[in-house]
Amino acid sequence: MSDDPEVLLDVKDLTVRFGVKRGGLFGEPKYLYAVDDISFQIKRGKTLAIVGESGSGKTTAALAVARLVEAYKGTVDLDGTDFLTLEDEDLRQARAKMQFIFQDPYSSLNPRVRAEKIVREPLDNLESGAKEDRQQIVDKLFEAVGLHPEQQRLFPHQFSGGQRQRIGIARALATQPDLIICDEPVSALDVAVQAQILNLLRKLQTDFGLTFLFISHDLGVVQHMCDTIVVMYMGKVVEYADRLSLFNNPLHPYTVALLSAVPSVDKKRRAEMKRILIPGDPPDPLDLPKGCRFANRCPVAIERCKTEQPILNEVALGHQVACHLVDERAVSPLS
Amino acid sequence: MTAPLLKVENLRIELTTRDGVAPVIDDLSFELGAGESISFVGESGCGKSMTALGIMGLLPEKVGRVASGSINFAGEELSTATEKRMREIRGNDISMIFQEPMTSLNPVYTVGEQIAEVLRAHQNLSKAAAWASAIELLDAVRIPNAQRRVSDYPFQMSGGQRQRVMIAIALACKPKILIADEPTTALDVTIQAQIFDLLNDMKRQTGAAIIMITHDMGAVAEMAERMIVMYAGRNAEQGPVEQIIERPRHPYSKGLIACVPHIMATLTEERRELTEVAGIVPSLREFGKNRCLFASRCNMVTQKCLDKRPPEVAFEGQQMSACWHAEAV
Ligand SMILES: Nc1ncnc2c1ncn2[C@@H]1O[C@H](COP(=O)(O)OP(=O)(O)OP(=O)(O)O)[C@@H](O)[C@H]1O
Ligand SMILES: Nc1ncnc2c1ncn2[C@@H]1O[C@H](COP(=O)(O)OP(=O)(O)O)[C@@H](O)[C@H]1O
Ligand code: SF4
Ligand code: SF4
Ligand SMILES: [Mg+2]
Ligand SMILES: [Mg+2]
Repeated sequence: MSDDPEVLLDVKDLTVRFGVKRGGLFGEPKYLYAVDDISFQIKRGKTLAIVGESGSGKTTAALAVARLVEAYKGTVDLDGTDFLTLEDEDLRQARAKMQFIFQDPYSSLNPRVRAEKIVREPLDNLESGAKEDRQQIVDKLFEAVGLHPEQQRLFPHQFSGGQRQRIGIARALATQPDLIICDEPVSALDVAVQAQILNLLRKLQTDFGLTFLFISHDLGVVQHMCDTIVVMYMGKVVEYADRLSLFNNPLHPYTVALLSAVPSVDKKRRAEMKRILIPGDPPDPLDLPKGCRFANRCPVAIERCKTEQPILNEVALGHQVACHLVDERAVSPLS
Repeated sequence: MTAPLLKVENLRIELTTRDGVAPVIDDLSFELGAGESISFVGESGCGKSMTALGIMGLLPEKVGRVASGSINFAGEELSTATEKRMREIRGNDISMIFQEPMTSLNPVYTVGEQIAEVLRAHQNLSKAAAWASAIELLDAVRIPNAQRRVSDYPFQMSGGQRQRVMIAIALACKPKILIADEPTTALDVTIQAQIFDLLNDMKRQTGAAIIMITHDMGAVAEMAERMIVMYAGRNAEQGPVEQIIERPRHPYSKGLIACVPHIMATLTEERRELTEVAGIVPSLREFGKNRCLFASRCNMVTQKCLDKRPPEVAFEGQQMSACWHAEAV
């Protein structure tokens, strides 16, 4: 348990593995470590983002935090209670404190249920308060997310993508959670609608004191939304830093390459930014290399990288990096 | 001035749907010079893909048709060309990379067979020569171990690799124009950077002109010299990329640039609220009406905008905006 009362969510050594059968009928069961021993903390009212390429384990980590997939190892401390060991009624109550917003506003809402019921359902499930009170909460939520009262009676298909995402947000807010996990909440939306939803999320954060775990592969969005960033690569945290440190002084070669790959409208950035292309593809998650998982694509890899896995090391205040070539001088090996 | 490679004039493409006939492309004109790169930007549903399909002669059968206007490629009119002639054009002069790489590759043939087939159909190569060329092309699009990977099936490749195979196929006939419809939307940015790098290299080497469709202004800034901002089937603004980013003359382009949280050269503590463009793109039913179709989302709207479609106003440096109040933007 975290000693810091400011910390709402404290994730330690979280590991998730999936059993994958391989090699014929009698083949040894193999395990895919989608999330491999990761730790991070989120302070109350703040936003932590997880970034990384497709398949790096972002969604799996978030699902494990919410107990929507089973963790193989590790602890998830939510506001002083060990969330992963709770049972029955305690779990139900704690669940209400942690809600999920999904990527796809098209498939995450039940098409046969009216909007008002979708939003009210989490309250009904908790059986909290009288029915009229619940309806009042729903009215307030519709207003808070910018939907009209008369839209309560409509079905999901009668809403646009952005409006559907608003319904998902209202539903997530219903139980007055402390923590909201947003998994790619705007990637399915057009840019103009993205802006509407991002502004809404930030406003709700201030109004309700929400804490966000925010997953996105769009670094522009991440930069705008978060206070702290976790960069994942093949199930591992490779860099963990506050927003300004990460964007202005990225240290891990993967992070540097990732940031350099983002196309920008800013002329100055385009002129200054040296693009680091990382050739090839990430390794097979079922057949990970012994050393650094980034070694086969890393432009500065040395012999040691092939044999020894780098561990996450605090190289500057609040800035952790897992790379053999980054030390307390906090200089990127690519600079 | 030499004649442009592609000249589209007053193009109108109509779609017949349950709700009737609507102009999905409504009076669109633009030019593309040899070796030039141009970008189409706009939210989904604005007609970017339809423009591309129109040029390729691949409009949805029985649904879409060029109703009026002209698509002139190197002096030849394409909008009235026969299907046989269009097939030749597609094989030799203009090729396209589609939005979804998985659906445009055939799952039951190896990537090598698919590339070789294109080569044989258009270049009269022997089987062995086509196969050798296929390996060369895979190598050119930087598939590691091309010799071996040429016998892979599409499902054995990652999304980025499949997209590179698509580029290899599109380049197989050494086209004069390459149309790329959101070629990287489904891919990670590191892979996107590889693909962009590859496209720029190919452009330099073969001198192909590129039409890139995207909704990402950053990608436009990186990949194109000129851009066309499309809204509801119409040209909203056209001009040099840098110039429009610095000084947009249409409220929609301005909104598209300002609503995105861009990464700037140096990040500061300050984070302002994103500029919002309220509402969404109108449905096809609204297309073609004699008014500004952006009016319902525009904060500069006046009565005039609702009464009549705005004409295109020319600005210095080849910039053009279809807005009644372009001067004031
Ligand atoms: N239920 C499952 N069974 C087996 N493997 C899984 C399962 N879910 C995820 N994986 C694997 O775990 C790894 C991490 O997947 P995850 O969905 O967490 O990635 P992600 O970072 O969210 O990617 P994306 O950006 O594509 O959403 C991948 O290799 C994936 O194939
Ligand atoms: N086969 C089709 N039949 C009917 N309408 C279509 C068809 N394809 C596209 N449309 C409509 O045409 C409009 C423009 O589509 P499209 O060119 O795909 O837009 P973009 O590429 O800019 O997202 C949209 O309203 C879309 O719904
Ligand atoms: S440990 Fe070695 S291979 Fe891994 S990122 Fe650092 S330098 Fe590159
Ligand atoms: S014509 Fe009017 S409504 Fe249309 S973009 Fe210009 S100001 Fe806005
Ligand atoms: Mg995911
Ligand atoms: Mg499209």
